Amino acid sequence: MMYDVSHRTVYRYSTPVVQSQHIVHMSPRPVDRQRIRGHVLSIEPSPTIRTERIDYFGNRVVLFDIEQEHRELIVHARSTIGVTAPGAIDFSATTPWDEVAHRISSPRAGTDIEVARYACASRHTRTTHDIAAYARKSFPAGRPVLQGAWDLVERIYDDFTFDPTATDISTPVTQVLAQRRGVCQDFSHLALACLRSLRLSARYVSGYILTRPPVGTPRLAGADASHAWISVWSPEYGWVDFDPTNGLTPKDEHITIAYARDYDDVSPIGGILLGGNEHSVHVGVDVIPQG
Amino acid sequence: MLVRGTAKHYPAAQPRARPARNAHLSGHRSMNFEARLSHQLDRGLIANYAETRGAHDELLDAAGNVRPHWQPFLDALAKLPAAEQANRADLLNRRVREMGIAHDIFADPAAPGKRWEVDLVPLIIAREEWHRLEKAILQRTRLMNAILADLYGEQRLLRDGLIPSSLLFSDPAFLPPCHGIQPTTGHLQFYAVDLARDLNGSWRIIDNHTETPAGVGYALANRVVHTQVAGDLFEACNSLRLAPFFQSVQAGLAVLTGRRDPRIALLTPGPLHDDYFSHAYLARYLGYLLVEGSDLRMAGDQIFLKTLEGLQRVDLIVRCIDGRQSDPLELDAGRYGGPPGLVQACRKVPQLVRNALGSAVAQNRGLAPYLPAICRKVFGEDLLISDTPRRWLGDAANRRYVIDHLDRMVIRPAQEGTGRPGGAQYGQLGSSLTESQRRTLLDEIELHGEMLVAEERIGFGTTPAFSPRGLVPQPFAVRLFVAGTSDGLSVMPGGLAMAIVPNLAVALSAPEPRTRDVWIITDGEVPPHRSLWQPTIETARVQRSQRVIQSRVADDLFWLGRYAERADWTMRVLRSALQPLRGDNAPAQVESAARACLAALATEEHAPPTQSEMESASPIESMAHHLVASKDGRRTLDDTLDKLYRVANLTRDRLSLEAWRVLSHFRPGADWRRALVDSPPEALLELIEDGLGWLAAFNGLFHENMTRNKGWSFLDMGRRIERAGNMSEAILWLFSEPLPREDEAGRLFYLLEVADSFITYRSRYRLDPMLALVLDLLLLDETNPRSLAYQLANISQHLGTLPQANPSGGLSDERRLILSMLSSIRKFDVEALAKDATRSDLQGALRKQLRLLPQLTTAIERHYFNLLEEQPHRVHTRLEPKP
Repeated sequence: MMYDVSHRTVYRYSTPVVQSQHIVHMSPRPVDRQRIRGHVLSIEPSPTIRTERIDYFGNRVVLFDIEQEHRELIVHARSTIGVTAPGAIDFSATTPWDEVAHRISSPRAGTDIEVARYACASRHTRTTHDIAAYARKSFPAGRPVLQGAWDLVERIYDDFTFDPTATDISTPVTQVLAQRRGVCQDFSHLALACLRSLRLSARYVSGYILTRPPVGTPRLAGADASHAWISVWSPEYGWVDFDPTNGLTPKDEHITIAYARDYDDVSPIGGILLGGNEHSVHVGVDVIPQG
Repeated sequence: MLVRGTAKHYPAAQPRARPARNAHLSGHRSMNFEARLSHQLDRGLIANYAETRGAHDELLDAAGNVRPHWQPFLDALAKLPAAEQANRADLLNRRVREMGIAHDIFADPAAPGKRWEVDLVPLIIAREEWHRLEKAILQRTRLMNAILADLYGEQRLLRDGLIPSSLLFSDPAFLPPCHGIQPTTGHLQFYAVDLARDLNGSWRIIDNHTETPAGVGYALANRVVHTQVAGDLFEACNSLRLAPFFQSVQAGLAVLTGRRDPRIALLTPGPLHDDYFSHAYLARYLGYLLVEGSDLRMAGDQIFLKTLEGLQRVDLIVRCIDGRQSDPLELDAGRYGGPPGLVQACRKVPQLVRNALGSAVAQNRGLAPYLPAICRKVFGEDLLISDTPRRWLGDAANRRYVIDHLDRMVIRPAQEGTGRPGGAQYGQLGSSLTESQRRTLLDEIELHGEMLVAEERIGFGTTPAFSPRGLVPQPFAVRLFVAGTSDGLSVMPGGLAMAIVPNLAVALSAPEPRTRDVWIITDGEVPPHRSLWQPTIETARVQRSQRVIQSRVADDLFWLGRYAERADWTMRVLRSALQPLRGDNAPAQVESAARACLAALATEEHAPPTQSEMESASPIESMAHHLVASKDGRRTLDDTLDKLYRVANLTRDRLSLEAWRVLSHFRPGADWRRALVDSPPEALLELIEDGLGWLAAFNGLFHENMTRNKGWSFLDMGRRIERAGNMSEAILWLFSEPLPREDEAGRLFYLLEVADSFITYRSRYRLDPMLALVLDLLLLDETNPRSLAYQLANISQHLGTLPQANPSGGLSDERRLILSMLSSIRKFDVEALAKDATRSDLQGALRKQLRLLPQLTTAIERHYFNLLEEQPHRVHTRLEPKP
């Protein structure tokens, strides 16, 4: 499926901003099953300095610095991306999870850093006794790793309620577990914390998901949103995506922008302002299937 | 009696008992005699030493003989009479307290856990031993640099299985955004190792410090203090000096910038950090600017310093903050230790920040067991000094082993990453845990093994410590420092030794911070002493950058001037009120004047006293006490002294050591401060006299020693603004209404006393005080340093020397204000003001000045201190898709 994706963020400041420095992860990285046909990132006002680089995790990063006074900032990413659904995956045919964990953590020649990088807790995926206990229910000894992962993702989908008012950007994953509420970021972080407490490799994926308006109502412009899900490693299939928020494995309606250890590594836009006082932010995302 | 107790804190005289430099080389006969004498004393010093020494001891060999490299020190020490030895030991620690070598500068340096003590007896290392150590430590520095270059580059060590990947990836000190930043001279400019002797006498590394200069400032301060008190002992031992090392450190940093006149800044977390003393001391010694994150700003991928003259480029940053906190844009959001954008600036100029960002990952304790193999693989060499036996618990086999042998182990965090001497936490000793603690620990090992190490205790060698009853052996560890210099990597020929508690510690975790200097004995010529305190021609270039004044520092100096003057004035008011009255004046009238001032000063808004307050029957002593330390008063003397001390701390790198020593009397909790609050009323006057004396010394040191740069202008303007306000207020309070002649005379007398202008008045007029003449002297006379006009004229002069940031050419607010104040006061007609019996003209004139002074302060603050109006803050977005 081919998509036109538009992600437009508008900041308005109550007093002039003297200088703003931002770091943006909105440019899609190449991944399996995904082809990038076009991408433009426009920034207004025009930055004094704009740098593009590939970060340690292989994501495309744009850093920009605006050194003229401004009261409004617009960051607009437009991409044309084709996504193919994965082939059939037999979860039960994967290696037992305990063997996978052992293989990831024992030092030996030929260690695959791409895999090892995602086996350790990060700031948003700290493991605790409770998180490890929650995870272990899906991973009895010897269970195939992806079967365990799918069981965990389904449990999170069943046990937790989507509730944007329950958490904010700084809510720790232990609290998400305790109150059983949160948003896609929280569920992804929780799933990652669970998997990493078992020393399995799993990464955080940032991107978009196609949403469908209720039957009979027209699609509203800007009504889609960014999304987050996870990817789990197995020796047989490499990285396989799971969406704990929707309780499914992504086919061709999830569009990957970036992946890394957790939200902090790939937050779509983060910035430091000098001045500006209060600010308002408006984010509009459109994921439009072509033809 | 408390008053007397403070007397011993007056600066003590330097010890003069310096034996002739070549005493031990004088005639043969006397040498034999001295040798015999010292041999006897020697046995006195170490009479009971041998019995309690450790399995390996620095002073005595296995047979109980003094090791030869200790003999010169023992001889020199033994020549001092026992009382003199004890005196020196005491003086040493008094100097330490005066200098404020403490972990937390706002804490009482004498408080438990905050003490910093320096032993009179150093750790002495022989030449051959030192060469071995030097070689081993330099090898380690190279190894650490190689490891860092790999971890922030190819990561072959991970791919080849030489470092377990989760050791790196579980460590928050690994900073992925810094991957790919490769300084040509390696990540490390500064490196330190903690070593201890095991029971066989072999050196073992117990910790590595790769993040910051790790307390090298403490080592330097210890040496300076020790040399002040016992320089003769140092000279008798032919030990290596530190100054040449630091000169080459300076030169090495300058070379990195590629500039002839580099601007180098030392980036500190600020005065609230435990190691601030060390940062300030090092910055001062090297002649670098001490800056905080908010002093810096990035523009155009370069880092600039916010100064009074605007943004000025910084060529190199000596980093004393955690790498993770160095850039809120790309590293830990919300930690403003460094300027946003610093990582990006380092991508452009990899040697901009030293040590490079992210270097702390190499001090992970878990690395130790893997180092020998890495060293063989990378250099084809064996590691010259081993680490203490250690297991990293991210490894499953190690976890199993340690769980089975927990009783023999000490469990510690792998990533503690403290560079603070004595700051390491204790490990958990497996054998001393309760059952539930044990279960918690095992759980923790299973869950977070990657962040833990287990160590077996090695036992510790001993070294002599001073006690008045002779030397006693003490278990010790020592920190040695490496720096990149103009001659490549060098080990500082000295160090910082600390006492440790052997049955608990496996690292430099010292509950009793008994430290000692480290002396390296040389057999060669010791080059003549060249201290960095007096800049040589080469270093003068570097020193010059001190002329740059950060906006923040100008702000702090301004308030230092204000609080010093406020404290001075308050104490003068108190003194004049309390002092026994002179014979030729009506005591009742003077006392009523004193009451008026005490009452007004004690109110928050400095309201003129009401009639009832002035007639109140409470004794003047209790009013004085109210002003000193009342609980509800905001502007009490106690509160002003707190603020003075605090703001002086903020500018500490600009205070001389003498100024600091004087200021230590004002530290909250110091003897004098406690006495001030607690003493009976009759003792207050004497305490105030002490305080005025110290404050005069403090001000005098500034006046005599501070270069007349922009920093001075702000300090002096602060003082002048405060004094102008105090003088105007006092006149306002004392002459608010018509008074009988007798009363007026008493008030004039009191005012002249407080304003320290009585003598001037008497010698000029030889008359009893008359209002018109007193007003002339205290308001208009621009030659009287106490007059209002003098203050305003000086402020105007200072403003004239400061940079004008008003390109439109119009007068800035503060200049407009000062001109209007000056011209209005020059128009005063004192005769007319004095004749106006209602006093309303005088009142009006003074009120106008008092209204404009705060506006002047605001204008100065707005113009100079807030170059950028506020601190940066962060914005986020959050993902909230519909389900």
